[in-house]
Amino acid sequence: MPKKILVVDDEPHVVKYLTTFFQDCGYETCSAGDGEEAMEVLRRENPDLVTLDLQMPNETGTRFYRNMTKDKHFKNIPVIVISGIPGRHLAVSKPLAVFEKPIDRDALLAVIKQAIGA
Amino acid sequence: MQDLTTGQSEKILDSLPCYVTLLDRHLEVLWTNDVSRHDFGDPSGKTCFELYRIRGGKCPECLVEKSFQDGRVHNKEMTLTTVEGTRIDVLVYSSPVRSAEGEIVSVVETAVNITSVKEIQKQLILLGQTVAGMAHSIKNIMMGLDGGIYVVKKGLEAKNQDEVREGWEMVLLNFDKISHIVKDILYCSKEREPDLQVIDPNTVAREVYDLFKDLAASYSIELKLELDPELESAVIDPSGLHSVLSNLVSNAMDACKLDMAKDEHLVEIRSKKGKDGGAIFEVADNGIGIDKNVKGHVFEDFFTSKGDKGTGLGLMVTQKILREHGGSITFRSRPGRGTTFVATFPKKDLPRTT
Repeated sequence: MPKKILVVDDEPHVVKYLTTFFQDCGYETCSAGDGEEAMEVLRRENPDLVTLDLQMPNETGTRFYRNMTKDKHFKNIPVIVISGIPGRHLAVSKPLAVFEKPIDRDALLAVIKQAIGA
Repeated sequence: MQDLTTGQSEKILDSLPCYVTLLDRHLEVLWTNDVSRHDFGDPSGKTCFELYRIRGGKCPECLVEKSFQDGRVHNKEMTLTTVEGTRIDVLVYSSPVRSAEGEIVSVVETAVNITSVKEIQKQLILLGQTVAGMAHSIKNIMMGLDGGIYVVKKGLEAKNQDEVREGWEMVLLNFDKISHIVKDILYCSKEREPDLQVIDPNTVAREVYDLFKDLAASYSIELKLELDPELESAVIDPSGLHSVLSNLVSNAMDACKLDMAKDEHLVEIRSKKGKDGGAIFEVADNGIGIDKNVKGHVFEDFFTSKGDKGTGLGLMVTQKILREHGGSITFRSRPGRGTTFVATFPKKDLPRTT
């Protein structure tokens, strides 16, 4: 069964971009437009990996990360931070990797492959 | 070359454009030059930190003591306060004064006013932050363009028209964003005279209302217009007023969109005749409000709390337009309740044409 990636970003176009890319690479995808929605999707879809934009209104990205890592079911899911602001990932304690926008697709794919396989 | 008399030396010291202070081992002031007496008053019976009103008493790393100890010249930057309460940034040098026998008998301090240098330094830091902010904004747009191009390419490969269209829209939207940001940057960086005209300010407000009415309705936000009929004419740059109101209404709508707590959202554009005959515009919303820790930053360039959506320049442009008119912009906000921005244009006469 293909592995599933949850894309969290408030910008629908970024969601479209990443989900298209991940699907092309053979992954299943699901997505959320803010941190609160992300928590729901996380429970429903049980993804294998999360990409998270921390530059979302109301800091919901950071809060989502905190809630997620507090939950024993989800705390081991690898998180990749995708952000336009360097240093912002410091709000997240243990991201698998940090990518600055615009992302290097090949490097992103390499990190994902290593974490959850093709 | 002539030898200086004592009187001449003192005159020269008095007129040196820096604060010259002679100090003894106990940091008591023995003598100051005219320039120092002018800004800091009579030094009699005072220590240096008393005379120059250094906050918190004696400086933690006293230059004078150091010079007494090692006989060398030392320097550091400090802030002094004049008798009038003005704070002055200075670069201070301490240098030992020796007797004929070579013993250090006193230390002379010269303090050069570097307030203007500090000011330039601050502006440079600000400029650096502006450039960094710009780079981040552009990086976000690049991500969007990247994405659009990728989706178009995949759509073409799969001969999927819908995908191509969706990707193309991403490209166009981000292209649009670049145009906006460039326009805003140019506006901010240019000193320009507003194109002052006698206008009916309510007409401009109505135009902005018409422009946003349908868009607001599409987000189920009610846009209201409350105009003061007494506000008949004002001397304002009409395109400037249009930008101000558009920016504020667009912000107010964003504040409503982000608010999940209320079912009904309202944005109101109000005009009022000011007491002094000027024109006052208010844009009020019942959106999310502005957080305490965000309040201080809203007029800073490239500050945005809207993630990828804002350029971070809207309110800065707004503020600049008001400043060009000699007016002001303020706001009051309660988190969770809403925000009201108030733009005040003072009464003005048309500039005389020569």
